Amino acid sequence: MTANVATAGKKNKFHIEENDLLCKNGCGFYGNPAWQNFCSKCYREVYQPARQAQLQHDALQEAKKLEPADKPGDSKPSFSKFEVKKTQQANKRANTVKSIFRKTPTKDSASSSSPSAPKESRRSSLESQKVGGEFAEFLKTLRKPPALEVSKVVRAFVERIQHNVDIPVDELSEMVQDFYQNLGDKMATQTVFKGLSQEVQDKILDYAERYVLTRLYRCLFCPMTTADEEKDLAVQNRIRGLHWITAQQLDLVINDTDPVIRQELDTAITDIIEMDSKRATQDKLACIVNCSKRIFHILKESKGAPASADEFLPALIFVVLKANPPLLQSNIQYITRFANPSRLMSGEAGYYFTNLCCAVAFIENINAESLSLSVAEYDRYMSGEATPPGSSGEHICEGLRLMQHNLNSLTDLKQRQERVMAEALQLQQDMKDFSQNFNKEIADVLQRTPLTIRPRKVKVDLDAEVSDSCEANLPSPLQPLPCGGVATGTAVSVAMNADTTAPNVVDPSSAPLRDPEGSSPLPPTLPSPLKPQPFTAESSPVITVSDASPTHIDVDIMGEQGMAAERGEEKMDTVEQRSAEKEGHGENQESVMQDAPSGL
Amino acid sequence: MASNKVDAKVVLLGKSYAGKTCLVERYLKDRFLGETVPYQNTIGAAYGAKTVNIDGHSIVIGIWDTAGSERYEAMSRIYYRGAKAAILCFDLTDKSSFDRIRFWIGELHQHEENCKIYLCATKCDLVEENPERRAVQDSVAKALAKDCMANIYETSSKTGKNIDELFEKIAEDYVKEKVAADELEQEAIRIAEIGRKAHCPCS
Repeated sequence: MTANVATAGKKNKFHIEENDLLCKNGCGFYGNPAWQNFCSKCYREVYQPARQAQLQHDALQEAKKLEPADKPGDSKPSFSKFEVKKTQQANKRANTVKSIFRKTPTKDSASSSSPSAPKESRRSSLESQKVGGEFAEFLKTLRKPPALEVSKVVRAFVERIQHNVDIPVDELSEMVQDFYQNLGDKMATQTVFKGLSQEVQDKILDYAERYVLTRLYRCLFCPMTTADEEKDLAVQNRIRGLHWITAQQLDLVINDTDPVIRQELDTAITDIIEMDSKRATQDKLACIVNCSKRIFHILKESKGAPASADEFLPALIFVVLKANPPLLQSNIQYITRFANPSRLMSGEAGYYFTNLCCAVAFIENINAESLSLSVAEYDRYMSGEATPPGSSGEHICEGLRLMQHNLNSLTDLKQRQERVMAEALQLQQDMKDFSQNFNKEIADVLQRTPLTIRPRKVKVDLDAEVSDSCEANLPSPLQPLPCGGVATGTAVSVAMNADTTAPNVVDPSSAPLRDPEGSSPLPPTLPSPLKPQPFTAESSPVITVSDASPTHIDVDIMGEQGMAAERGEEKMDTVEQRSAEKEGHGENQESVMQDAPSGL
Repeated sequence: MASNKVDAKVVLLGKSYAGKTCLVERYLKDRFLGETVPYQNTIGAAYGAKTVNIDGHSIVIGIWDTAGSERYEAMSRIYYRGAKAAILCFDLTDKSSFDRIRFWIGELHQHEENCKIYLCATKCDLVEENPERRAVQDSVAKALAKDCMANIYETSSKTGKNIDELFEKIAEDYVKEKVAADELEQEAIRIAEIGRKAHCPCS
């Protein structure tokens, strides 16, 4: 590693060492680096009193080694600049010096710088560690030789930059760009990398860029050899001075009082501000792209139509003015210097980045003409004497705007509540009406169809009926029939055809047919034994309820007709009358019918 | 990340309302927005990339739309930096848009020598519909094109006329140039190698 550092272009160091081969005291013996380039004898003699001077001398040597081009006199101002800036770099430098103080008694000046390198890597930030971890993870997925090669190249490059932090930034930029180029070329030509797909190569380049820039962020971002910081401040002040610019003055059609748009705008502003917190150029560019996409979204929402470059640029300018992103110039310069131009900068990100550059350029050169204002007006706005018309909403403080917003919400809520109230009342009225109508309808229905309660049906044991009551009730009245042979058959058919509905069929008004008891006293009451007989078996056919019910009327009629036929002409009128009655009371029959099964 | 890679950057320049955005929209998405959105010279984004295949070369052209308003003209140099081709748009029905073209040609010649220029007359459907609306005579436009050795296309984003031809020509020219440049580079390397051998026999 020492050799590496030595060959890193410091020829005059070799020169110094050659000079120092002889004892510094000039005694003629050879000196030894371990004895501060004295011979052993002189070292012991001089060491104690000269220690302090020696250390200073070595520190100077170290400074020379780091920036060989600089004369000691030159390095002084840069030293003081470090202190003023209070950057991390200054600390690092101080540490290096400290480490020299610690190590010089035992090590020569050439090797004293190498311990500082591992020290730095130990101090690497969280971001570096994270990116380094990701990079290592990714390399693990590759075969070993290319992975090793990549990691070697990247490591060597990081170290090289770390030892050259004080060269002009343009050279640094060139070195970084050369590094991208070389890595790309290497992957295209070297056999180690053969077989890697273009995609993987791109990924390697991407990771390498990310890792290198994250590791070296402190050296590369806003280096003190440039005037970036002054420019940052200038832009910042410029933007502060232009706080009064409204969207309208930029010919921008966005409704920035609309809370939804307002929120989107705030997000875009956050995106662009966030750019400063990222380290890798990819991430910074991603912030710009996000911000730009959101601006397009805002424009679309505001106009109701997709936006174009004609509207985008003013909108971006507006966002930058409202955001006043920190270290804007530094970030732009950093991306310009260290992003890989062939990869990121030519695509979409490059486009939006260019727009951002344009926006900044516009802001720097903004004048009365570019805002379509008269010079007098512009001056008055700039000096704060007046505020442009239409910007009142802009200048209302956040609290007032919030209050206004809340008042609007309250009005809205009130209206909604009133509407809800009205609807509730309407609903109440509807419910009342409904209940009234309902009652009325029920009353109507009841009036139209009065409820009549029928006598309960009595269950009869079928077997018992066949054996006892049939014999007791039915056959006996039939017997007197002229055609006695058929009578028994009739009785059987009646028993079979008749169903539970039989009693319902019988109209309560036809008193003679009714026999609540269903018992034998019937026959005597009837004028003719023939007439009512089959129908008095009211309760008998419980069994047939379920299956016979749908057709009960037919069956019934049939039965009656059959009976009538049997009974003869004189009974016909009775049958007709009965069926007519049946029809008239169809409704009631049905309701009774429905009861019937439950009665079981 | 590979999708971000663009071979040729093509920048659209021209006065606002000259039809730049419609041109891109028609080429990239093959649609015309004018019918649904009055005068909307617009896509959702002002940038688009398209892959084109020319003679077995697959190249990606990135199309950059620019703000046409004169107030941003001062910054347009930032846009066309590094562009391989510039499409200068003018509206056939608007004489002033054509007059601006000379300005752009001067700018490009001065600052971006390697950028090829293509003239693009837009809205030719309007002129075809009603010849009286033509404000830029064919001969005048062609003369200007000849002056700056540029190709000129009369296009219509509404009908799609000549749009694909325009971009195809750009891609073709780019490929041609690239092939020539590659050959030149090979040649240069060969010469350099010969030279090195002659000068340094020891290595």
